[in-house]
Amino acid sequence: MAESTQMEVETATQTAPLPAKPTFKPLKAHEMSDGKVQFRKISVPPNRYSPLKKAWLDIYTPIYDQMKVDIRMNLKGRKVELKTRADTPDISNLQKSADFVHAFMLGFDIPDAISLLRMDELYVESFEIKDVKTLKGEHLSRAIGRLSGKGGKTRFAIENSTKTRIVIADSRIHILGAFTNIKVARSSLCSLIMGSPAGKVYSKLRNVSARLNE
Amino acid sequence: MAIVKDSGFEALEKLKSTEPPVFLAPSSKSEEARAASQHLFEKLKPYNPKSPFDELLVDGFDAEQIWQQIDMQSQPLLSSLRQEVNRFAKNPEEIRKLGNLTLKVSQKDDVDEMDMDGSESGDDELEANESEGEEEEDEEDEDEDGDEDEEEKNGDNEGIEDEFFKIKELEEFLEDGEAEEYGIDYKNKKGVAKKKKQNLRDDDDEEDDEEDEDDEFGAFAGGDDEEADKLGKAKYTDFFGGKKKETKVKWKDLSEDEAEFENDQGDVKLSTHEKERVKLQSKIEQMEKANLDPKHWTMQGEITAAKRPKNSALEVDLDFEHNARPAPVITEEVTASLEDLIKSRIIEARFDDVQRAPSMPTKAKREAKEMDESKSKKGLAEVYEDEYVRTANPAFAPTTFSDELKKEASMLFKNLCLKLDALSHFHFTPKPVIEEMSIQTNVPAIAMEEVAPVAVSDATMLAPEEIFSGKGDIKDESELTQEERKRRRAKKKRKFKAESAKEPVKKARDATTVAGSEGL
Repeated sequence: MAESTQMEVETATQTAPLPAKPTFKPLKAHEMSDGKVQFRKISVPPNRYSPLKKAWLDIYTPIYDQMKVDIRMNLKGRKVELKTRADTPDISNLQKSADFVHAFMLGFDIPDAISLLRMDELYVESFEIKDVKTLKGEHLSRAIGRLSGKGGKTRFAIENSTKTRIVIADSRIHILGAFTNIKVARSSLCSLIMGSPAGKVYSKLRNVSARLNE
Repeated sequence: MAIVKDSGFEALEKLKSTEPPVFLAPSSKSEEARAASQHLFEKLKPYNPKSPFDELLVDGFDAEQIWQQIDMQSQPLLSSLRQEVNRFAKNPEEIRKLGNLTLKVSQKDDVDEMDMDGSESGDDELEANESEGEEEEDEEDEDEDGDEDEEEKNGDNEGIEDEFFKIKELEEFLEDGEAEEYGIDYKNKKGVAKKKKQNLRDDDDEEDDEEDEDDEFGAFAGGDDEEADKLGKAKYTDFFGGKKKETKVKWKDLSEDEAEFENDQGDVKLSTHEKERVKLQSKIEQMEKANLDPKHWTMQGEITAAKRPKNSALEVDLDFEHNARPAPVITEEVTASLEDLIKSRIIEARFDDVQRAPSMPTKAKREAKEMDESKSKKGLAEVYEDEYVRTANPAFAPTTFSDELKKEASMLFKNLCLKLDALSHFHFTPKPVIEEMSIQTNVPAIAMEEVAPVAVSDATMLAPEEIFSGKGDIKDESELTQEERKRRRAKKKRKFKAESAKEPVKKARDATTVAGSEGL
């Protein structure tokens, strides 16, 4: 009995050794699309033109140095163009940089938008007030006022409790943050649009955010 | 008149001969009927002085009007006849007189007619009674029959009593028969005898009339009259006394058999047994009737409110189960017992107070994160960074706002405790361990090095020598001589002067500088 097992083992070792498993290094961004360069172009809305000029260096530095992505401004076409370099480590860097610039164009501040560069799980969601409820004229204005609150306190309250950043541009609303946080912020904003008072929204926020932050 | 009479009589004859069903349908008999009724009307006219009509007007009148005329004649006639009958009932001898009178009267008129009347009286009576049952044109006939009967009665004695038949003989015969049967000499006929006579039929009316005075059964007499009227409707019951009557007859036969031995009364009253029997019978009838009638609603099983009379349920004592205990009746004893109970409880101090149920131990409330309504100073990235650091590496995590608040609060509290301990006792209390490093001044080294009391009185602060050096001869004030006191005072003065000399110089200097500056 024991001999038979030994015999088996011997036979196994006698077979020809398999070739070593090949190891490949990860592809560089440059190499990924067959050595072609990849571009991203982000158009600049007119209201963000001067803030872009002011904050250009804050945008340029992290993208160029840390993301290793080429960035330039096309003044004629009013576009920010991004291009992969040879030493771009990862293709997602380009996308992240594009998202970062796009977030800035939507209206987010640089420190908030930078989080997009640093974290993967952050998203930007946009929707319009008319998607929630058809409002016209005064009602619309009042709804926007309700959303922001006095001195923006309602908006800040939502931002702080849900760890998101909100931009209200006329009837467009943009939310930056993690997926679940975006959902909470969106629901509270929707309830505000529908007409519930701020106090009610606060109480709901408190409950939900406590659960979120656990 | 004779022609009319004849025609009238002929009409009667014709009517008599017609088949009864013919009368049911409208036929040509109307003419004959009218003639006949006219004839009869005329016949009756002499007996009715109050009649407004001389003759029955039939031309152009319909049945209803003719009938009305007849009715007008016959109504007073009937009443008068009734009176006459009653009179005869009381005084039978007058009948004979009347009979002669009528005979004479009839002779005055038409003998034939009377004879015919008499001979045919029976037939007429029968047929007249038969035709009574028919509806249409025979309303007159009915009256005719009534008239005829009454006519007959008045003249019947004469009519009946022929060579063959005498009323008195009939009476005697009947009495004999009864006597034979019952063995008793009957002068007063009882109902049974009467019934027997009725069974013989036809001309019992007079005998019944005669016996009316002795008749205890006035009802039966009336009944007999009715039966005579209704010969046309002769039925089994008429001939054979009917089932009820028969049973009565039987009963009476038996009772009479039994009562033979008891018969002391000689009156028509029933014997006790018969009375009982009668009572029983009536009771039985009652019960049978009750059984046939619909039951009382209480006995009908399930009844809805619609099927019973209104408010009938209130009158009946209904019985149904009460599932609830009835409310206790409060009497003096009950209250007294309750009060005793209360007193004893108070004495014992055994109050069954309701204990508050212990509430469930709730979890400690989570730290309610304060809603920050101001713009966050950190960027979103930093927020996430802090969060990450906190989760990954708690040590390096920067303190949050709440932590700082906590620290501040704890510091304040410690200081407070320190002060309170110091106030409460100058005894030794160990110094609270405060982590901070702070320079303590005016604390003697002894406090730093040793565990010493926190609050130290002035007495221990300084060394005795530091308080008082104690050079020379120390004397108390009371021990001083005058000179020494003067010396001390002088010393004090010199000191004071020296000090005041410095100050005015200073003041002067200040004044001069001010003046100097002002001058410029």
